[in-house]
Amino acid sequence: MPTHTQLQKIWLLSDTVLYSEAVAFMRRLVRDQGCNPLPAAQVNGLFSIAESQLYDKLYAFVVHQRDRDWQPSKRDIKTFYTALEETLTNMQKRLRSDFHLLGGSRKPGGQDEADEQELMALLAREFIQHLLAENGLLSIRAEEERQQRQRNQQAGRYQQQTGLAHHSPHRKTGGRYGN
Amino acid sequence: MNYETQVMLEVSFEADEFYPQAAVLGSHAAEALENKHRSQLTGLENIAESTSKTSDIMDYIKKQTARFSHWRHTLASEENTQQGFGERLRAYLENDLAQRRDAVCARLQIGDSSYQDKQKRRRIHLLLIRQFIRSMVVEYEYAVSAGKNERKER
Repeated sequence: MPTHTQLQKIWLLSDTVLYSEAVAFMRRLVRDQGCNPLPAAQVNGLFSIAESQLYDKLYAFVVHQRDRDWQPSKRDIKTFYTALEETLTNMQKRLRSDFHLLGGSRKPGGQDEADEQELMALLAREFIQHLLAENGLLSIRAEEERQQRQRNQQAGRYQQQTGLAHHSPHRKTGGRYGN
Repeated sequence: MNYETQVMLEVSFEADEFYPQAAVLGSHAAEALENKHRSQLTGLENIAESTSKTSDIMDYIKKQTARFSHWRHTLASEENTQQGFGERLRAYLENDLAQRRDAVCARLQIGDSSYQDKQKRRRIHLLLIRQFIRSMVVEYEYAVSAGKNERKER
């Protein structure tokens, strides 16, 4: 069981490190790499695993999702889990070096490993909660952009059909009608 | 004066300073959430009062914004017509109140390198957020009930 001091450290890390890293993680995938946000079914699955399971179960779930043979239309899910697995592996390395949640060097087996698993479960849960919250926002923005594009296309088609493009106020004020 | 009293005084001072903005966001909340979604603002207030992390509050706002269109309601009558209620609130808590936290910490000579100082900074940010949300919810309640009374009088 984590001590109160360890919990306080995790809360601090969650606010000052994990939150901004989770936001950057999602934006990198969606904005820079052009991936779709994670679909609702994946969000629910990952959230419930992160909430209820031990770290080794969570990690196994992430690896399983990464290694699944996704159909081409769902390749972004594979990209997401590939990046998440890398982040979690890296986070485990930072547990002692950067985060100072455990002292000394890692000893396999026994209490030391159990402590590490418990702390990783807490850190991963924080990170995933932040990821999923940002994912929700990016999903809705993507949907709004899609709707806006659709409206613009419809408006464009309407203008072409009715010939309004030739009588727009912009054209009237410029060119041969100008000044 | 002991440290806790100093912190409370500083937070109260900032609360007076940001009160107009809390009122603006409370009015925005009243227009966006109306009377029928009151529980969602109570939920926000409860989270703010009970959590130990500022990020829990940001996550809550993001989730509500993604889930409900009324959290994305924009005000056509104001300058900032692009930002919905949720995004506007989150941006204020995350950015503007972080600046106010920095100002409070500077006055209390709290640094940002030691572990203890980082914890103090985080707590002050949380106290400012709680105070802001309290003021905003009061304004929301007032605006919603004023709107109700106006309708009754008509």
